[in-house]
Amino acid sequence: MELSGSIAAEPQPSASLLMVDGISKRFGGVRALRDVNLEVVSGEVHALLGENGAGKSTLIKILSGVHAADSGTIEIAGKPATFDSPARSREAGIAVVYQDLSLVESLSVADNLLLGREPRARFGFVRKRELMARAEAFLGELGIPLDTKATVGSLPFAYRQMTEIAKALMGEVRLLILDEPTSSLTSDEVRILFDAIGKATRRGVGVIYVTHRLNEVFEISQRVTVLRDGANAGTFVTADTDMKRLVNAIIGTDRLAPAASRATPAAARSFDSSPVLSLSGVSNDRLSAVDLSVMKGEIHGLAGLIGSGRTEILETIFGLRPAESGTLEIEGRPWLPKSAADAIDQGVALVPEDRHVQGLVLDHSIERNITLPRIPHFSRWGFMQQRAAFRRADAAVARLSVKAQGASSLVRTLSGGNQQKVVFGKWNDPRPRVLLLDEPTVGVDVGAREEIYGVIRNAARDGSGVLIVSSDLVELIELCDRISVIVDGRVARTLVRGEIVDAEELHHLLQIYQASGQGVLQELPA
Amino acid sequence: MTELTAPNVVASSTRSDRRRKLLHNLLRGERPYMLYIAFVVLLVVFSLSSPWFLSVDNFLNIGRQTTLVSIIAVGMTFVIIARQIDLSVASTLALSGMAAALAMSQISNSWIVGAIAGLGTGALVGLLNGILTTQLSIPSFLVTLGSLSMARGLAMMVTNTKPVIITNETYFAIFGEGTFLGIPVPIAWTLVAMIVGILLLHYNVFGRRIYAVGGNPTAALYSGINTKWVTTAAFVLTGALAGLAALVLSARSHAARPDVVQGMELDVIAAVILGGCSLFGGRGYILGTLFGSLIIGTLNNGLVLLGVSSPMQLVIKGAIIVAAVAFTKR
Repeated sequence: MELSGSIAAEPQPSASLLMVDGISKRFGGVRALRDVNLEVVSGEVHALLGENGAGKSTLIKILSGVHAADSGTIEIAGKPATFDSPARSREAGIAVVYQDLSLVESLSVADNLLLGREPRARFGFVRKRELMARAEAFLGELGIPLDTKATVGSLPFAYRQMTEIAKALMGEVRLLILDEPTSSLTSDEVRILFDAIGKATRRGVGVIYVTHRLNEVFEISQRVTVLRDGANAGTFVTADTDMKRLVNAIIGTDRLAPAASRATPAAARSFDSSPVLSLSGVSNDRLSAVDLSVMKGEIHGLAGLIGSGRTEILETIFGLRPAESGTLEIEGRPWLPKSAADAIDQGVALVPEDRHVQGLVLDHSIERNITLPRIPHFSRWGFMQQRAAFRRADAAVARLSVKAQGASSLVRTLSGGNQQKVVFGKWNDPRPRVLLLDEPTVGVDVGAREEIYGVIRNAARDGSGVLIVSSDLVELIELCDRISVIVDGRVARTLVRGEIVDAEELHHLLQIYQASGQGVLQELPA
Repeated sequence: MTELTAPNVVASSTRSDRRRKLLHNLLRGERPYMLYIAFVVLLVVFSLSSPWFLSVDNFLNIGRQTTLVSIIAVGMTFVIIARQIDLSVASTLALSGMAAALAMSQISNSWIVGAIAGLGTGALVGLLNGILTTQLSIPSFLVTLGSLSMARGLAMMVTNTKPVIITNETYFAIFGEGTFLGIPVPIAWTLVAMIVGILLLHYNVFGRRIYAVGGNPTAALYSGINTKWVTTAAFVLTGALAGLAALVLSARSHAARPDVVQGMELDVIAAVILGGCSLFGGRGYILGTLFGSLIIGTLNNGLVLLGVSSPMQLVIKGAIIVAAVAFTKR
């Protein structure tokens, strides 16, 4: 509100910072962008929405000079501009903050901020004191709470991102492009990021804010442009629109109906069977006496802030992190996971948090990735049965409706949602006893998200026990039969479906437990 | 009629698809055909500039001269695809040759004993390289820089730098001087190494794992692959192939010498990289490696035939390797 107020105070709303007019771009036979228009005014946060593959990334790459548009014009502050290289785009005052950061982790915040622009003495020696002073003065002016001497690699993710934004603002930046900046931040960290953005816009910087999280759009942006299938699907003044209209524009009206008809069963399901997986008193360097059980067919959520130990619970079960004490049982049999291979043998599957780093070999085909955990199943006498492998991969591609030319497409060429489906495909057949999911829908667009929810529900219906970690509390409430709140490496409380109905309430609970440090252990009967 | 022909059309198209895929697998790898063009250009240039170059004898000569590099390069392809490097191969060859010759002179003058000693020593050095790299998490560049020095030192220590004479005629015939189906055995052994390499890398489960470990070690680990074991196996294979190369060399010269092929690891690595392997792992193919090593062998041979002085040969060879890699880069 405060932000839009400052914009209203500006006398010329017509003074646009960026005017993109009728941009088109074709990659081979694919029309990535068709006649796209976008206007950003000074001091505005302009949200850019759309499913993966809708053209957001292409548009950003054109603005940052990575790709050249086939037709259409770009004007910066009323003057026509052409960007044939990232350097030219940067000269025009456009800075892009990518999801994967471009900082040197071994250097300090100040060194990173002035990288390549260090104040120099004779013979190329760096004036260290001046460098520190300039970095500190700049951060002070922006009001960004960063320690200039801290090594970037030692900072939490949100602070690295802030360093990145500060670095972008250090030059003569007029337009700042943020590509899904909050995808791996906790809600507190998001708050810090939004403050930094507010400080930038108050200096007259225009911001293009790309996100999948609609609630953020309402919180931070003044206007929203939605892309669908490479074309404009509408530009809205944020204050005059609502969630429903945006979702409508993103996925198209025809697809909205089935999503709306999906009703969440409020009643708790009962599981008369014994647990497929149970942990009691499991401890190691990051966990302290974790008690947890997952029933056959149950979807069990783990809610907690980043660093609470929720990911470590999955890693311990998957054999990547040794359990030092306590016992694990799989279908009633005691079992100590020793390695990932051991866990896979027991029918445990993990869809890890970072699909690019942990889940996929990006330069390999879908088929290679899907068969990776079960290579011996596709071999005879040690030799690959290529046809069997492709048959399995083709089946997985069809069942999970991965949008790709075929199983031999490189995973790198797929959109985020489709890449995530490939990670699921690795564990699809045979059905895992225990399916561990870590942030399964991060960076996945609205449509693919629904499809992934379908995949998860199907896995549970087929009898897998699902343990899911997510920062998206709405997602947990929608999917889970039970939710365990993780604080400081232990289960603070387990909630049964129906006990908590909205994310606001769950969020509140998380904060309370986190604040009190030691949550009261209150295991509720399943 | 149409109903009869239609399935045939489908069948033949899938068969030709499969053939195309096979060709693609073997020849192209990840890169365009620049490698083969470069090789042909080299052949044409040398044929035009030297009257002796274009002859069967000379090609057999090139084949013989490149055997050592080609055999070891097969193993190095696995190592480099797995994001590692092995600098110790030339020293391993020297040590393996000494082990083979000493085993035959000290234990029993049988070619089998010599072969086991040579291959075993090579594999053992590879095993140590692999274990140190994976278990102690030391970069393989450093581990094998150390074993380069240690293996060479050991080879020199055992006889106080004296060569060991080999007298076993069968050994000479099998590894050095005989022919197999009309092919000189050194070339036959190269072909064996190539075929085993192609089967292992492109058709075997092991190859899948090597590519995955090199393409993304974390994802491979999360998929339950024993990345340490797979990496170690690549080093063992390379060591064993260095052992095979040692057998070929010692059988050809009727002796094992501790100071042979110093610096050859660079030719091996150059061959693999020329052949289209990525130093960043996850990419590469055996036939590319063969052509890489043929290019280096042809260069050596052609420059000698042209009467280029040996210091100048080194300069030209180095420049051409850098130019070729720059040229074939995507």
